[in-house]
Amino acid sequence: MSAKVVLISSDDEKFPVELKVAEKSILIKNMVLDLNPDGLEEDFEIPTPNVRATVLEKVIEWCEHHKNTVFPDEDDEDAKKSAPIDEWDKNFLKVDQEMLYEIISAANYLNIRPLLDAGCKTVAEMIRNKSPEELRKIFNIVNDFTPEEEAAIRRENEWAEDR
Amino acid sequence: MERSKRERQNESVLTPFLTKHIGDSAQLPEDTYHKYCYRHNPDVHRNKMSEVSKMVKIQQDLEQLAPEDQQAITHVWSIFSAAPNQYRRLILQGILSQCCFPTLSFVSSEVSSLIRIDFIANLPVEISLKILCYLDCASLCNAAQVCKKWKSLADDDRVWHHMCEQHIDRKCPSCGWGLPLMHMKRAREEYDQYHNRKRKIEEVDDDTDKEKKKEESDKENVAVIDKEVKKRPWKSVYSERYKVEKNWRKGLYVCREFVGHKDGITCLQFNVKYLITGSYDATIKIWDIQTGACLRTLAGHTKGIRSLVFDNQKLISCGLDSTIKVWNYHTGQCVSTYRGHEDAVVSVDFSDKTIVSGSADNTVKVWHVDSRTCYTLRGHTDWVNSVKIHSQSHTAFSASDDTTVKMWDLETHKCLKTFGGVESNGHVGQVQCVIPFTYKDKLINDVDLGNISDVDEDNDNDNEISDGGFVEIVTDPNEKNYPTHLLTSSLDNTIKVWDVKTGKCIRTQFGHIEGVWSISADTFRIVSGAHDRMIKVWDLQDGKCLHTWCGDASVSCVGLSDSKFAAGCDNGVVKLFCFD
Repeated sequence: MSAKVVLISSDDEKFPVELKVAEKSILIKNMVLDLNPDGLEEDFEIPTPNVRATVLEKVIEWCEHHKNTVFPDEDDEDAKKSAPIDEWDKNFLKVDQEMLYEIISAANYLNIRPLLDAGCKTVAEMIRNKSPEELRKIFNIVNDFTPEEEAAIRRENEWAEDR
Repeated sequence: MERSKRERQNESVLTPFLTKHIGDSAQLPEDTYHKYCYRHNPDVHRNKMSEVSKMVKIQQDLEQLAPEDQQAITHVWSIFSAAPNQYRRLILQGILSQCCFPTLSFVSSEVSSLIRIDFIANLPVEISLKILCYLDCASLCNAAQVCKKWKSLADDDRVWHHMCEQHIDRKCPSCGWGLPLMHMKRAREEYDQYHNRKRKIEEVDDDTDKEKKKEESDKENVAVIDKEVKKRPWKSVYSERYKVEKNWRKGLYVCREFVGHKDGITCLQFNVKYLITGSYDATIKIWDIQTGACLRTLAGHTKGIRSLVFDNQKLISCGLDSTIKVWNYHTGQCVSTYRGHEDAVVSVDFSDKTIVSGSADNTVKVWHVDSRTCYTLRGHTDWVNSVKIHSQSHTAFSASDDTTVKMWDLETHKCLKTFGGVESNGHVGQVQCVIPFTYKDKLINDVDLGNISDVDEDNDNDNEISDGGFVEIVTDPNEKNYPTHLLTSSLDNTIKVWDVKTGKCIRTQFGHIEGVWSISADTFRIVSGAHDRMIKVWDLQDGKCLHTWCGDASVSCVGLSDSKFAAGCDNGVVKLFCFD
């Protein structure tokens, strides 16, 4: 049994994971490298005080699934943007808004770019092709424009309609 | 008796539980993030209205019940609200396990309406912007209308700069839209305004002085304008171009006519200020493109004009009188005349100090203005209808009545390649027009469309010259900045796209029913004019015909810009279609 990285959630739950899986997080990868320059000899505990256990569990599930995935070059903006969400990721992210919000925050904090991308794309898909009123409903937002402001802003954005 | 006993029993459970847990803040973390969830975090300003109305509803429902029932229910709530997190879960699990499916279904719909998070307002700004960057422009414009916070983010310059980068002067791979560059449009407009004021003051100065002053003030001016341009929001840069592109797609335009020539139009070119036309009536006319007024008529050629080309300083024309003339079109003065062709000169182009001309004497001539030398390029066996210089690679292309196009090296004056013949799927009629261009993305070709089977792509360098082993043999045309493709039009009624590297025709565009006299193209479109009186606009990438206009005379020449195209007709009328 090789040594593991033990992630500790904000609510003190411990998750021992393979190094290869934990390394999907650049934050953890660098931390392991910096503090164990000669390689991992024994279990190494890393607290993740911003991530709750339920979320950490999901994030680890994602890392586990993608431990052998090679992600495209980060600099290639176009390829990244035009690529649709991976089918597995899409299903993985079919969660309630609270979980999605926390997964995105965790992916950002742990620096897991592909997961952050998938999360952001999922939110973008929730926004795409929706009217302002639908958007307010989906995300529980109060319209804080005056009727005059609202009319002016509608005119300002009319050019994009009906393409 | 019964009742008070029950109450006591109840209290005996309830009171100690409440005393034990209420105010037990020792187990709560310090910071708001861990103490509260998104819903209860006081730092999060969400829509709390819906919650208030829900509370009122619950209160009303409760008041309908008998007092003892009210008390019992309130007890359940008090216990739950006093319970620490792990107890709450336990309580809920117990309750849920008792529920039957209709109740669970109720729970599930209640839950999903309760968990709604304003991602855009609550995630870190850089992530919100990242999300918005995945959207299309219509969705972004809807997002900007949601609330103030969303507006500030959905209108953010970083998002729209990204949009501009993705769409301007290139086709976006995800949505298939590309927007015109409209280079320096605003700067030009402001410059013109400024310059017109300035010119009035300078009118007294003599010509050379004026030139010098103009240059100086130009520099200051451009600097000032640059600053102003930078302040402009990227969203407005985008929307301005989007409107133009939408008009192109929908075919919405304003048509302007330029009437004055006494015979058929043979050639034209335009920029933001001027439209210049040549005609069989032996004159060249300079028109104000905005007002449609004829500013000047250049007379000097003794027979019909056949081709012209101009930049900011000079105009070069050629015609049936076998001469090439260079004009200062601002003054109307003919600066010089080049004689040498033995028959009509039907095409001309220039770049820097080199003029290239094609003639009815079957030759192409290269005139080096500075050294006053002229080279004759022989190889075509019939009229040379079109010549184009490709300055980056120092080559020229010529299209001829002999159905071929030739590529010439302007340093060695040798023919590098010939485009034509059955084996290359070449034209079967006289080639009227050639345009070299470079396209980085993939062009849809006939193989993709299943029209022809794939041709072998060997013997790339068959036509490459090696002059006494001295000239470097270029294996990859790209190394020499050759254009990647050619567009040609022919009297065989087709437009063709050629791969310069292989020398083969990769796409043939059908649609005209008579010969195609002229084509013009930019990053997105091809416009073509033909003997069948039709003008067609095509998509450059996939070769599909987007629009067709039918006129009342055969179309002999066309010109294209970001937002306009012009067509010159056999009846002496020029039409300008404006999409801005």
